[in-house]
Amino acid sequence: MKIIIVGAGEVGYHISQRLSEENQEVFLIDKDAEKIRRITENLDVQAILGSGTSPKILRASGIKEADMLVAATDSDEVNLFACLLAKNLNPYLLKVARVRSPEYLEEKELFSQEFLGVDRIINPVMAMVEQIRSLMMVPGASDVVDFEEGRVKLIGVTVKPDSPFVDRPLLSIRGVEGKVLVGAIVRGEQVSIPRGEDTIRANDLVYLVVKGNDVPYEFGFFREGEKEGGRVIIVGGGVTGSALAEVLEQTKMNVKVIEKDAQKCTALSEKLKKAIVLHGDGTDKDLLLEENIRDADFMVAVTGDEENNVLISLLAKGLGAKKTITRINKLSYIPLVSAIGIDTVVSTRLSAVRAILRYIRKGRIISAVPLKGEHAEAIEAEALETSDIVNVPLSQVKFPKGALVGAIVRGEEIIIPRGDSVIRPKDRLIILALQKVVPKLEKMLTVKLDFF
Amino acid sequence: MHPRRVLRFIGVLVFFVGLSMALALLVAFLYSEPSAGDLAASMGITCGAGLILFLATKGEEVTHLSHRDGVAIVTLGWFVAGVVGALPFLVSGSIGNFTDAYFESVSGFTTTGASILSDIEKLPKGILMWRSIIQWLGGMGIIVLSIAILPFLGIGGMQLYKAEVPSPVVDKLKPRISDTAKVLWKVYILLTVLQILLLLGGGMSLFDSVCHAFCTMPTGGFSPLNKSIAHYDSPYFDGVIIVFMLLAAINFSLHYRLLKGEAGVFGRDPECRVFLILVGILILLVTLDIYGSVYPSLAQAFRYAAFQISSMITTTGFVTADYDTWPSLSKCLLVLSMFFGGMAGSTGGGIKTVRLIVMAKHAYEEVFRIIHPHAVRAVKLGGKPVPSDVLSSIWGFFFLYLTCYMISTLILAGLGLDPISAFSAVAACIFNVGPGLGLVGPTQNYLAVPLVGKWVLIIGMILGRLEIYTVIVLFMPEYWRK
Repeated sequence: MKIIIVGAGEVGYHISQRLSEENQEVFLIDKDAEKIRRITENLDVQAILGSGTSPKILRASGIKEADMLVAATDSDEVNLFACLLAKNLNPYLLKVARVRSPEYLEEKELFSQEFLGVDRIINPVMAMVEQIRSLMMVPGASDVVDFEEGRVKLIGVTVKPDSPFVDRPLLSIRGVEGKVLVGAIVRGEQVSIPRGEDTIRANDLVYLVVKGNDVPYEFGFFREGEKEGGRVIIVGGGVTGSALAEVLEQTKMNVKVIEKDAQKCTALSEKLKKAIVLHGDGTDKDLLLEENIRDADFMVAVTGDEENNVLISLLAKGLGAKKTITRINKLSYIPLVSAIGIDTVVSTRLSAVRAILRYIRKGRIISAVPLKGEHAEAIEAEALETSDIVNVPLSQVKFPKGALVGAIVRGEEIIIPRGDSVIRPKDRLIILALQKVVPKLEKMLTVKLDFF
Repeated sequence: MHPRRVLRFIGVLVFFVGLSMALALLVAFLYSEPSAGDLAASMGITCGAGLILFLATKGEEVTHLSHRDGVAIVTLGWFVAGVVGALPFLVSGSIGNFTDAYFESVSGFTTTGASILSDIEKLPKGILMWRSIIQWLGGMGIIVLSIAILPFLGIGGMQLYKAEVPSPVVDKLKPRISDTAKVLWKVYILLTVLQILLLLGGGMSLFDSVCHAFCTMPTGGFSPLNKSIAHYDSPYFDGVIIVFMLLAAINFSLHYRLLKGEAGVFGRDPECRVFLILVGILILLVTLDIYGSVYPSLAQAFRYAAFQISSMITTTGFVTADYDTWPSLSKCLLVLSMFFGGMAGSTGGGIKTVRLIVMAKHAYEEVFRIIHPHAVRAVKLGGKPVPSDVLSSIWGFFFLYLTCYMISTLILAGLGLDPISAFSAVAACIFNVGPGLGLVGPTQNYLAVPLVGKWVLIIGMILGRLEIYTVIVLFMPEYWRK
């Protein structure tokens, strides 16, 4: 597939990196000569110096033969205009734009095919808010990915040293077949797709595939008391904070928002229905204690200042908040922050990367989500009638090493498979796979289609 | 640098070079020569050694290579390839001692075409074929070949590509480096086949056509004949070879664009225009110089001048005339052509036209600035400004080239070579041309150069082929510091 990416900021860079590692032909356009030089050295993509809103540059990047354009610069206007130009240069092109301004987002019909021709708008803030919401639905998890509107969940959870499963092979974990499946294990920087004989160690991050409505709290991956999650304190009432509060208001959660700026507080209080808006500083220990940070199930730090977010989270953690969610912008900070004891990190950029990658898949792959560590991903795909994987027991399907079916969705029914489960045509599959086997897997899922 | 990673890759490389002996083996079989056994033995040893190296370093990932790894792989790879290439010469007894065999082999891989053989024709056909194959492999680059066919390299390929194809500006034809390498090799193969057909059409034997085409496209210059192209004394063959030498010295991305249907791309490219004009002027000057003084007819003078200038400026080194007997001006112009070399991104050696253009323009700007001290001007190439880091890298390259050139010449002179022979031998080797003047002139060979001199020239050939930086960086103490 030939993909043009406009903007080599963090979002564009990460998407290009992922796609080039999957052997796609990527053209990356940016105005900054220094960035282009860096990319030429580090990525196996065609880096083009110039503006993504220049028809000449777009033509030079072969837009006529391209399959997709991703406009991922920091400027909404540039992204939208690039899509508009692209639409006129190649009407068959699929266009994805990163758009942040809420004002643009409200005007859905403006982006429709006739006018701007954007096929998919990725709003990083909303993508991130959605991610935080999913996370909160499964307290105790450090990563949650929803599939099929939340009917299948992929839950990342850190294995505590006192968990009964530590140092035991997966095969010996009984009583959960058909309910829970360990889909991936992240140990340090290494991701593996486990087999029966692999063991879980303390502090591994394991990804569990579960049915959406029965997260197995009785099961030893979670601690006692992690089940309820009802009290949330959000620090920062900016675009993200207010969007998050609005989303959470619709659940049963008890939401408090702390904001420094008095005017913003007023505006927030007018906009929000149930949530309590507090005027104050998130780094103020007394304020946090006063608002019972000790009993808070979640403390979400989403101010515009990422260093501040880290400090607020550390403070809240020290004061007894059960779980913190911290917003970080620089992707390179993420491993550092995890090391100093921050539970969960979210980032608009990472969410945007996720959302865009989820959309980019070809063929029968419906969506794909990168997992922590980025070397593995969860893929949602449809089983074709003509594919080799259907109508035989899973134990006999020759999946590439490093890939495994985590769930089968058959209409209303959800199956967490075992060796004797059988995939039927039209089933939707949730597959966990190491990144390096993804092309092989794609072929497996689509190869028959290519004959038509 | 990760030594195991480097060794693992070298193992793969050695294995591939071993595999390529199969073609020479086939030739030896067809002519039912005893050399078939020697080639089979060499092939077995090489492939075996490569395999052992590859297996011994098991578990090393070669997908992510650093700059340092890339440089080490390429430099070491070329030295090692030289050893592998020398094996058939030694095993078959065609060349008696290691230094000579290694010289011949490195001269092949670096597409220099300098030979130590006095009687080429007495060698078995299989060995002669091998001599041509190493030139052909070396022309487009053994590393580029491995990037094209090894699927697992990924971005690591980029580091290797830059180390082996050092062009002032990286010219990626396709977004993915392995696709770029594939395209280059396809164009290369296509042109080679075309030349074989044209030579066959003129009545050359299949064996000779293949050998000559294999040595023209890489601008190599080995010939299976003692008298090189002069053997045929045919204007048709001269013409075909001139055209293909020039094509080989033109940037391969232009060929690719031409094949994609972009007509007139040679004329539009600023570097190509200068290159062709330069060739034209040089031919004209030499023709006028040798007309009357050496050749009585203008047509003859033009034919030999055109061939010899093309052969020298493209750094091929084929010979149709004993230019050592030409007047002084012509000889100087021929040596000067060696310095110029072909275009960047071609298989030619030398300083490369694009560097000459940029340096000339930069020098002009410096003079201009003396007249208008406040003028703000940029050095432009084809309407686009040349970034200052590219500029300084070109000047650095030029300085290093000259330094290596001078040191090597001094050593050769110290060994007792006369000045003309020393100067031209170093030029012919460092610019990957082949024949020089005097002792190493068109009718002579490198056998008489003293042992130390041969090693200096071997290093010079590799320095020239990899364009200095890649090799020299390995000798910096800084490189080895952790």
